[in-house]
Amino acid sequence: MDIASSLAIVTLAALIHASFQLSVSVLTLLSGHAIGAKRSQTRVLRLTFGYVTGVGVMTLLILSFLSLIFLHAFGTEAPQIIWAIACGLLIGVGLAVWFFYYRREKGTSLWIPRAFARHLSDRSKAAKSSTEAFSLGLTSVVSELLFTAAPMIISALVLIQLPGHWQLVGIAIYTIISLLTLFSVWVLISSGHRLSSIQKWREDNKRFLQFAAGGALAVLGFFVYVCKIIADVTGAI
Amino acid sequence: MADGGHVDIVKRKGQRPTEAFSKAKLHQSIVAATLSARTPEGQADNIAHSVTNYVLEWLETRPEVTSHDIRLVATRHLRAHHPDAAYLYEQHKNTL
Repeated sequence: MDIASSLAIVTLAALIHASFQLSVSVLTLLSGHAIGAKRSQTRVLRLTFGYVTGVGVMTLLILSFLSLIFLHAFGTEAPQIIWAIACGLLIGVGLAVWFFYYRREKGTSLWIPRAFARHLSDRSKAAKSSTEAFSLGLTSVVSELLFTAAPMIISALVLIQLPGHWQLVGIAIYTIISLLTLFSVWVLISSGHRLSSIQKWREDNKRFLQFAAGGALAVLGFFVYVCKIIADVTGAI
Repeated sequence: MADGGHVDIVKRKGQRPTEAFSKAKLHQSIVAATLSARTPEGQADNIAHSVTNYVLEWLETRPEVTSHDIRLVATRHLRAHHPDAAYLYEQHKNTL
């Protein structure tokens, strides 16, 4: 797989990651609590920026960690069975997202354990400093791993094939693109947009986002399967 | 029943211990939701007073209610004053 195709896969995987909504939900709650507690706009900005930074750092760390594990385990070329498992995981998670991502009720409740959701909600209310908001960002990425693990695994498998400096570029591209949605919401909140309109947009478009994320996961899984496994097998014949 | 002090609130469908109704807590939650909708402090306080009084009236004939009931009644009245704040208040438990 050439560098351009590899980076294209990483970009698509990061876009899929960006379409997941847990981090955005926590950011909405965090800013709602901060504004409701009569904190100054500067404090709100600092808190929410701490949160976004936490999400970015954890995404970067998890992707780097996965790449390191794969590099140690498989060298620069993972076996075909691992690629097949990763493609299966992408398609499986894609189907799961179609059916289970949002709960069948009003609002934007996600299919994550309720105790976990309550914990994140309580922590978003309790966060008073940037450090707490930063650690909330770290935690929310871990909470979302159920859905984001698949695009991260495929990105790590693609990245280990690249030369060293391109691996760094790939990790940076993934982190930046995966933060795009969160960053856009942060800019909207910072510029004084009403939280209700942001939340309403999310609620109105949740089925589309769910369909797009699930569909893109399945498409990515199919694309990598064709690109990597079918191409290698037919090439070998 | 000026402060609703004799009403028991059943929390989370009975999964958490029952607690006495707190006017201050309801008032604070309405103020927070209204401020989140970028409303000035004074207006948020006035709206919260009005909604809290409405909920207190509603509670007069009810010795025990659920926290969900209170949220529904408060949302219904808040919607008349500030639809955006009512939306945020209603959505709070359904955001994550």
